[in-house]
Amino acid sequence: MSTSKIVELYGVSKAFGALTVLHDIDLAIQEGEILTLLGPSGCGKTTLMRIIAGFEATTHGRVIIKGANVSNLPPDRRPVNMVFQRYALFPHLDVFDNVAFGLRLKKWPKAKIQEAVQHMLHLVQLGDYGNRWIHELSGGQAQRVALARALVNSPSVLLLDEPLAALDLKIRHHMLAELKRIHRETGTTFIYVTHDQDEATILSDRIVLMNRGRIEQIGTPEDMYAKPRSLFCARFLGETNILSGSVRSSESGVTYVDVGPGTMKVMTNGTALSAGQNVSLAIRPEALRVARKAEFPGGADDHNALEGTVEEVVFMGSRVVYSIRTPIETIKYQETSTMGHAMLTQGDEVRATWRPEAAVLLTH
Amino acid sequence: MMNGNRREATGLALVAPSFLFLLVFFIIPAVLLFVCSFWLAQAFRLIPTFTFDNYSRALSAGGFYLLTLNALKNGLWTAVISVLLSFPAAYFIVYRTRGNLLFYLILVSWFASYLVRIYAWRTILGSNGLINTTLMQLGLIDQPLEVLLFSPFATILTLVHIMVPFALLLLVSALRDVRKEYIEAARDLGAGGFEVLTRVILPMSYKGVVGAFMFTFVISAGDFVTPQLLGGRDGMTTGILIANQFRTAGNWPFGAAMAFILLATFLMTYFMFVRLLDVLRLAPGRRFHD
Repeated sequence: MSTSKIVELYGVSKAFGALTVLHDIDLAIQEGEILTLLGPSGCGKTTLMRIIAGFEATTHGRVIIKGANVSNLPPDRRPVNMVFQRYALFPHLDVFDNVAFGLRLKKWPKAKIQEAVQHMLHLVQLGDYGNRWIHELSGGQAQRVALARALVNSPSVLLLDEPLAALDLKIRHHMLAELKRIHRETGTTFIYVTHDQDEATILSDRIVLMNRGRIEQIGTPEDMYAKPRSLFCARFLGETNILSGSVRSSESGVTYVDVGPGTMKVMTNGTALSAGQNVSLAIRPEALRVARKAEFPGGADDHNALEGTVEEVVFMGSRVVYSIRTPIETIKYQETSTMGHAMLTQGDEVRATWRPEAAVLLTH
Repeated sequence: MMNGNRREATGLALVAPSFLFLLVFFIIPAVLLFVCSFWLAQAFRLIPTFTFDNYSRALSAGGFYLLTLNALKNGLWTAVISVLLSFPAAYFIVYRTRGNLLFYLILVSWFASYLVRIYAWRTILGSNGLINTTLMQLGLIDQPLEVLLFSPFATILTLVHIMVPFALLLLVSALRDVRKEYIEAARDLGAGGFEVLTRVILPMSYKGVVGAFMFTFVISAGDFVTPQLLGGRDGMTTGILIANQFRTAGNWPFGAAMAFILLATFLMTYFMFVRLLDVLRLAPGRRFHD
């Protein structure tokens, strides 16, 4: 994969009247990657995509695609194509003519169009569907046609606006795998908008997490999961336990935090924190070690422990999720189920511990 | 099975009233009139027979062609102008405004009756009317322009005024089905404004365009009140001729025959219009590949 920038955004802001939906966004998208704009509804992710596509003008800032400033170009003159949320396939044309739409506008010769459209329909596994009318397609098939219609134009960037939102769960997972395959086979840069963290983590090379018109964090799915930089990020990606407290002491990469019943040890990367500062600890449910108090082995994790009662046991097939009520928060603990068998039962008095490296200290 | 029968019964019950109405007040009279067009009339009395005399009499008279041409001209001009005026307005209402205020304002003209509007135009276009007095006072003309009133121009102007709200209503409802997403998708695939119009908006609002055109055409071409009151001597149409056969000449069979000839020309116009849109590649449901 080359590492040249294919889309660059500099200081992009967008206001609709008095409402500012994007604040000063800087972002560079690498050629060939799948980049996801992730965030809750109203975070500005769709607006940002529409700005790249050219459907919205920026209030401030520049959009560069392949080194050229396209900020003032209309959508039909930008080298990007889009897959719309509800596909927007033209109902008055059949599948073939939908896919051929862009190439006909480019005045390609008939034989070349024939070849390119057939190739693309095969790529999305709809080789025999050229003569179908749009209303004869299932949701998943319509999705593939929409993909083919965009990709046949060999866009520099393919924009996908919540393309799986209208599909049911099973097809959605299948389509995610399909999207990855198509991405591999075409090498096109994908910018994918979704509010679904699972879709984002499964699909993306990098995730751009957005909140209230700003970029909260950018990183690989693994990074975002393991090292969230804010409470918002920790909460948005996956399940997490948040313990709030205040700094007791902090030096050379080790910080002690007072959290209700005790003082917790956490590793931090050098930045010194002042004593008394309010902070939060984020600990993933699967990073905990939990056992009944009576059977507790004891050991090196003295600093980081919470005691509580198992309140709820939710069996989810391959894993079991427990809710444990502690004096400060009800925390979640997750473990792999051993042949459909839960280790703890409701009402068990337990002790939860975690290694200092397993927690992330968050200041906001 | 029970369920299916009940649904069928409900369907019938829903359709029955309008079907009965059409049967009694349209289909049966039309059939009777069609039968009548093969009869003869003598001294205000109908003579049942079977003859093509009425048809051949109409088709062999040069005047009939002239009046039919006038009627078709009225209809075509009114339909073309009404649709061309309404389309941009409908586009604006559907895609550029949020409320329906403009839409309602245009529909408000329906509150004035058809005849009131005809007389209003008579007043505006007449020798002592608004336009002539203004032009004379400005010194641009010394004699009132007689061509304003009692001319095909006056007829078409008034018919357009009457028809625009109908055309607009049909086009607005057709354009509402063309969601903005389709337009954006076309833009995204490289279509400029004109291509979006011809390749997406028009084919997708095809029924509305054909409906608006044919509706305004048929009513205007068949109208006999407006041309009679505003058209002058040159503005005679088949509609007036037919009305006269029923009202004054008392020759129902001849009137009926002319009415069915006119109906046939309307149907031909419809097929020609549809064919034209097809040739221009504006019709939906066409394949453009092998």
